Amino acid sequence: MAHSFAAAAVLRGIDLRIGAGELLAVVGPSGAGKTTLLRILSGALFPARGRALVDGQCLADLLQGSREQRRQLRAHRSRLGFVHQDHALVPNLRVVQNVVAGRFGQRGLWRALRSLVRPDQGDSEEVLRVLERVGIGAKMFHRTDTLSGGQQQRVAIARALFQHPTALLADEPVASVDPARARALVQLLVAVAAEIGLTLVVSLHDLGLAREFFPRLVGLREGGVIFDGCGADLAQSEVDALYLLDGHDQGQA
Amino acid sequence: MRRGLVLVALLVCGLAAFLALGLGFGDLVPRPGGLKLAGEFLGAAWRPALDYQADFVPQNAPAFLSVALAALRKTLLFAAAAMSLSLLIGTPLGLLGSALVPARVRLPVRVLIALMRSVHELLWAVVLLAALGMSSLTAVIAIAIPFSGTLAKVFSELLDEAPTTAYRALRGTGATPLQAFLGGLLPVAAPDMGAYAFYRFECAVRSSAVLGFFGFPTIGYYLKRSFENLHYREVWTWLYMIVLLVLVLEWWSAHLRRRFVA
Amino acid sequence: MSVAQRVHELRRQRPRDRFLRGSLVLLAAVVIYAWFGGDVRVTELFSERRAANLARFFGHDAMPRPLRDAEGGGGFGALLQWVGQVWREKGATGVGATFAIAALSIVLAGAYGLLTAPLASRTLMRCDPYLSSEDCAWWRSVSISFRLIAVALRAVPEYMWAFLLLAVLGPTAWPAVLALAVHNAGILSRLGAETVENLPRRPLAGLRRLGASRSQIAVSALYPLGLGRYLLYFFYRFETCVREATVLGMLGVVSLGYFVVEARARDRYDELLLLILFGAILVLAADFISWLARRWLRQAK
Repeated sequence: MAHSFAAAAVLRGIDLRIGAGELLAVVGPSGAGKTTLLRILSGALFPARGRALVDGQCLADLLQGSREQRRQLRAHRSRLGFVHQDHALVPNLRVVQNVVAGRFGQRGLWRALRSLVRPDQGDSEEVLRVLERVGIGAKMFHRTDTLSGGQQQRVAIARALFQHPTALLADEPVASVDPARARALVQLLVAVAAEIGLTLVVSLHDLGLAREFFPRLVGLREGGVIFDGCGADLAQSEVDALYLLDGHDQGQA
Repeated sequence: MRRGLVLVALLVCGLAAFLALGLGFGDLVPRPGGLKLAGEFLGAAWRPALDYQADFVPQNAPAFLSVALAALRKTLLFAAAAMSLSLLIGTPLGLLGSALVPARVRLPVRVLIALMRSVHELLWAVVLLAALGMSSLTAVIAIAIPFSGTLAKVFSELLDEAPTTAYRALRGTGATPLQAFLGGLLPVAAPDMGAYAFYRFECAVRSSAVLGFFGFPTIGYYLKRSFENLHYREVWTWLYMIVLLVLVLEWWSAHLRRRFVA
Repeated sequence: MSVAQRVHELRRQRPRDRFLRGSLVLLAAVVIYAWFGGDVRVTELFSERRAANLARFFGHDAMPRPLRDAEGGGGFGALLQWVGQVWREKGATGVGATFAIAALSIVLAGAYGLLTAPLASRTLMRCDPYLSSEDCAWWRSVSISFRLIAVALRAVPEYMWAFLLLAVLGPTAWPAVLALAVHNAGILSRLGAETVENLPRRPLAGLRRLGASRSQIAVSALYPLGLGRYLLYFFYRFETCVREATVLGMLGVVSLGYFVVEARARDRYDELLLLILFGAILVLAADFISWLARRWLRQAK
């Protein structure tokens, strides 16, 4: 299964097609609708008007549909890694437990519970491999809240990877990380996605990071697409338009 | 502003209660006998008894300190049994009473919780003594009923107030509500729940001690007997024992809390 | 090293909290010993004598009197009449006295807690940034003594305080009021101290640097900042106070407990249960009041 997204009419007439295996950064000022867009893609939110299609299927229809279709929606979600801005981890559980929880959606209640209490050998080995891939293998059995912010974000990425996702969405994954670590994190995300052939959609505040690592940029402003294309083609006027402060914004800034 | 208003209202309430009870400050002066008693009692504070204070002690009576230890043991064990039973009953009730559960289950559970905890353990003891008769289990159940209710209430509140980011993230990965709850919400609230349960254990020890007033073999039983026999130094021994027990438990719980919650 | 070996090695080296683990093991051991050590015998509950006792209690003793004597009229009307009669003769007095005892004692306890909270906290007692080093020892001893007093006050259960005070003061409502007040004073003093300790440090240190004295800091910063939180605790304790006040009457003070004991002495268990029900309703009402007050306070922020 390969994910390809097609979203239409988010907030203000967005028409976006994302091919399987594409690496894409959504940039724009805060409040532009980046988070909303990502949540619609993940199937956590449904557009009031317009449709979000995944592999040609409308997510909202699945939710309204038969039991079988709702199961499909669950399956869709379970194969979609989402990295949240605030990690969304359980601070007082060990790293391994947080990672293992990524696959709950693909398991029955009992198996999920058992893997949480004590992951079996297969799970443990796989968790370690994923953690080593994101560079924190040694922390596998540490309490999550003893890790730094950047390390916790790596745990969140590991949890998403443990889902065996076909696509990875990350909403401002580096918002609470210092610039040097932020760069390393974005680099890691892109490298991992490229390596496994994942579709990667990352929303970023920092245009520089987006230009450096992503072949395709989508600029959002006030719910509309300002540009969609290669970072290198981006003209200065377009950048200015993206972050242009208008009257009432200036008042707040 | 609002707080100032509350303070004034509270003072008025206190005054109204004072008048309603028909209290006078004259009553605060101990009765003639009372003053002497108070003096003797306070005088004994510095010399808690380590042996029987009575003039006549039956020959085969066990040593005072071994009686004291036995009372301490019973107090602690009744509390431990009651608390474990409360956890067993209160935890599922607390989960069922949280806002995640549909209203048709949650509301009846909350009513049950309210009924359990609105009757004091000593009143439960009076009823259970009449219904079941004297038995160690009577004391345990009497404590466990209201304590289960309190645990359930606080647990459901803690679950409702716990941050839901991890829960929602797991739901986003297709986990069922129950799975997401077990993996993303219960563990978040667990440290606070544990800390509260430990605090309630301390309360259970106090309740267990007081149940002795009704004839159960805990500290209260001996304290009452010693006091009625005017053996004040023995009374202080019992009081010091409770204070010590509570101090140890508080120190313990503070240490657990520090590494658990903060 | 293979992955399996690495997992094994990492698990072996995982950071362990010995104190936590030891505590859990110890608690579990105590619980197991309590149930199986012979002190609490579960089988005691299932003897025939107890079954008969239980049947008699619910079949006869606990059955409201009007329902029991069919010839005495019986029926719902008689039941209501009986409930009304018990309420008028005992319930109203008991409920009123219970509530008044709780209200007066929590106000007294609250006042003590309010006054001693800054003294019992570690905040004002810290050398840095509040004190010069020479008076540090003195203030630290003040803080420690107030905390010790609070521990001693709250360690002794209300019921025992009331029992002891009753002997000294005689049978007025004072022993009950003071017993509740003393125990809760200990608790509120500690909770107040915690509130003060949890206040943001920076504004306090700022005031200190501006040359404010300790009492000036307390008046201008501690109370305004901490009062809201403290009042929340206060209303939580009010709830428990009402609950405790119901039973203190069992020692001979006029609260609900007094009538409960009196009903038991006359073997009138139907009346006893009805009185307990009145008490439960009172406690739930107090819960509700406390909840309303807390909500109102929260909205004020």
